[in-house]
Amino acid sequence: MKVVADRERCEGHGLCADAAPEIYDLDEDAIVVLRYSEEIPAELERKAEGGARVCPVAALRAL
Amino acid sequence: MRSSELRHVVVAGGSVAAMTAAQTLRMEGFDGIITMLSEEERSPYTRVPLSKERLADIATDDDLQLATPSDVDLHLQLCMPATALDPVAQLVRTPAGDLSYDGLVIATGARARRLAPELDELVLRQLEDCHLLQERLSAARSLLVVGGGFLGMEVASTAAGLGLDVTVVDVVPPLDRLLGPLVAGRVRKAAQAQGVRLVVAESGIGLVGDRGGKRVRGAMTGDGRFFGGDVVLTAAGDVPNSSWLGRSGLSLSNGAVVVDPHGRVDAASFPNVVAVGDVAVTRLGDGRETRTATWTNAVEQAGTAVRSLLHGEEASPYRPADYFWTHQFGLDIKLVGSPGPSGQPTTSRIDPVSGGTLLVWQPAANRPAPTAVTINHPMRPAKLRRMFAATRTQIAG
Repeated sequence: MKVVADRERCEGHGLCADAAPEIYDLDEDAIVVLRYSEEIPAELERKAEGGARVCPVAALRAL
Repeated sequence: MRSSELRHVVVAGGSVAAMTAAQTLRMEGFDGIITMLSEEERSPYTRVPLSKERLADIATDDDLQLATPSDVDLHLQLCMPATALDPVAQLVRTPAGDLSYDGLVIATGARARRLAPELDELVLRQLEDCHLLQERLSAARSLLVVGGGFLGMEVASTAAGLGLDVTVVDVVPPLDRLLGPLVAGRVRKAAQAQGVRLVVAESGIGLVGDRGGKRVRGAMTGDGRFFGGDVVLTAAGDVPNSSWLGRSGLSLSNGAVVVDPHGRVDAASFPNVVAVGDVAVTRLGDGRETRTATWTNAVEQAGTAVRSLLHGEEASPYRPADYFWTHQFGLDIKLVGSPGPSGQPTTSRIDPVSGGTLLVWQPAANRPAPTAVTINHPMRPAKLRRMFAATRTQIAG
């Protein structure tokens, strides 16, 4: 599984980073940053999906 | 009830509270079957952009889709509303027949409140409402919004941006209740600077239909002033979707399902039934009832309730979510803490880079928690919340 973030659409609510800090971080402007640019470790896939789903502007996709 | 006894959990609902509930079940180790019953014909999407990016046609329908789970044991059934509940027999009725469950998550959400059911009233809650409003606005020169809460004011902002002549009417000053007079006043000023007319009618407001027709052509205030619009939108709050629970015996308050701080509808008789999101109202330990119909709340409540479904009292109880935001008239506003701060803020800071504002109100007699508001400011809400958590610990210690 990979995660893709649309940083243009991100509004910095930070719910992804609350739900799955292992996968999502926020930069100085409170815009999402991914901790994995490649494959996510299998044991973190569910968390990655959960973090993607709580984004209120649907800026995150787990592929 | 413990997770080992649960084999089949039914989640009634198809929005973010329902999706978060399903996700939390898995993250907490539940490996049985999850059936999600959604009355909508689309797979779950976010409603947050409906008044903003989607209405302005900056975002597409596809942009709003929430990630669909890769989970093979999650059965999402669309166009399949729960129509009745028998909590004793542990059965949910659907158009396709009865469904038995070991655990039930009630997450049927809310619908838009209507002021004149006899008229063809426009509201904005679902994607289809957004499509219709968009179509009407494309052929209109003016918009009247009845209701100056977040939704009504966000639509007003979008419509003004599209070049329409916009009026908002409400019985109280728009946005005061949630943002407090200082910040709300700043937003109202920005709205007026963009040509939006704001009308406060303390005497009350009623919709006016076409003579002999069902089209809404305007609104009349209690003191006899008429305001018209090519398009009239009602944005007057929401009503919990609980009619399917009418004969279930569950306790309702103003139409919302009453739950304890663990999200349970009745811990003694039905410990395997929880309710989350906009359909639920939480009765706190001191008897006060709290219902917060926000995205953040739906997410937090769904997590809490599912953990109590799986782990009982050991799961930590719910604390009302204290973060919400709005974006309108060029102002990006985020609030953490007690809503509706009044008086002068104790701290007011301007960020030198962005020019944004950070305002903080310390707790007062009528406001147990501090409040922080950012306006076009890059401070992360998560950081603000952590700061406040530390303050609370200090007070408690």
